[in-house]
Amino acid sequence: MPAEGLLALRNVWKRFHSGGTETVALHDVDFVIEPGQFVTLIGPSGCGKSTLFNIIAGLEEPDGDGSVLFQGQPQRHRDLLGKVSFMPQKDLLFPWRTVLDNAALALEIEGMPRKAARQKAAALFPEFGLQGFEKHYPRQLSGGMRQRVALMRTFLFERELLLLDEPFGALDALTRSMMQRWLLEIWARHRRTVLFITHDIDEAIFLGDRVIVMSARPGTVRCDERVDLPRPRSGEVMLTPQFLDVKRRLLAIVEEESRKTFSASA
Amino acid sequence: MNLLPVTVALAGLLALWELAIALFRVPGFVLPRPLDIATAVMENPGLYASGMLLTALEAIGGFAAGAALGFGLAVLMVLFRPLERALVPIAIAISSVPSIAFIPLALVWFGLGPVSKVAMAALAVVFVVLLNTLNGLKRPDREAINLLRSFGAGRLGILWRLQLPAAMPAVVTGLRVGLARSTIAVIVAEMLGAYAGIGQIIYQATVQVDALHVWAGVAVATAGSLLLNAVLVAVDRRLVWWS
Repeated sequence: MPAEGLLALRNVWKRFHSGGTETVALHDVDFVIEPGQFVTLIGPSGCGKSTLFNIIAGLEEPDGDGSVLFQGQPQRHRDLLGKVSFMPQKDLLFPWRTVLDNAALALEIEGMPRKAARQKAAALFPEFGLQGFEKHYPRQLSGGMRQRVALMRTFLFERELLLLDEPFGALDALTRSMMQRWLLEIWARHRRTVLFITHDIDEAIFLGDRVIVMSARPGTVRCDERVDLPRPRSGEVMLTPQFLDVKRRLLAIVEEESRKTFSASA
Repeated sequence: MNLLPVTVALAGLLALWELAIALFRVPGFVLPRPLDIATAVMENPGLYASGMLLTALEAIGGFAAGAALGFGLAVLMVLFRPLERALVPIAIAISSVPSIAFIPLALVWFGLGPVSKVAMAALAVVFVVLLNTLNGLKRPDREAINLLRSFGAGRLGILWRLQLPAAMPAVVTGLRVGLARSTIAVIVAEMLGAYAGIGQIIYQATVQVDALHVWAGVAVATAGSLLLNAVLVAVDRRLVWWS
């Protein structure tokens, strides 16, 4: 493995210009993700999380002063498009495609014949708890199921790095905690590298090997905390002193940053 | 589909019609009785059938050509944005004039035969399909497009897998409005100058102050339009199969 980990961000900046005023979205973002790690990222709203994600997905270009390295190689000009499995906040399932065809979307784009793509996707349905729903249309599914289909679509696009942007943000608390445990099981079996955005501290600590906390805008890495809770983790882990200890520390930082955002906008 | 309510409504309308004639002693040249209109059609079925057939073929031909042109142009405009900026203002300008206004020109350019009717039908549909399709193709938001880009899809892949299916409901709206406009354009064009067709039949009956046969022509034209619309509804269901 190259010394730079799977993904390395070095002094990444992003400034937006409109009508003569400059807005700094990201300022000197710097971190490395090792292969196989589950990294969660939290920060106050408007801290540039989504911009950061778009940069890592190759959808946006960082400013020239920093660099993004993937598997040790510097990435420029949309190089990352097609290299990272990206799951945006909304499920973005296509209403005209069946659940099966939605799941197989990325495979089709990669050029796999439709029949083979369907077969490959169908094989994952039991594991994602969607068996029997292959021929349904998305509008017939519940929110949790739609999110699983979206996740399956991301999983089937087999890339080393999974980029998940608040995938459970729109779900109710109960479904959400079920989905978190289920995601950890899937991850334990497939062992991909995950970068997971959330604004929920419990979720960040419960899922992550590491929690990165972003500062208020302009966004930068405010703190990078290892979470050494044993795996596999069950819901019980959230009640352990170790968990609460991490939570207390992170909560103080997140609150401080949120207050900055709040007073800046007030 | 449940046809009962519409059948009842239609029967009620016909009963009201008969009642009004009986009650207010409306003379036949002002408003003929429904049964007389039906009889007038049945006395000369060949005339009305061949007239309606010609009108339908002209409307369908022009509709298909205009719809294809409008759809194709919209796709090109989405692929080459400068084309959209250049042509859409012109399209809006032309389409804001009722297409009926172009009929005299069409008759001068394409003669009294079917070509002028087909051209008018095409003109009546092309812009409404163009503008609706264009709107539909632009409906997918940035996030959905970005998702496909992140999977490595190119411009055409995004068009084929996202924009075209997403545009279909808007395309269908355009087709529905367009078909009605095409039929109107053909019939009016036939009334203003033609050798045959249902519009010409209505026109000749009007000139002869023969209200019964004007009504007969209108009734046949209405039945024909309904049939065309039913065919289009079936096509629409295939275009938007998921809702």
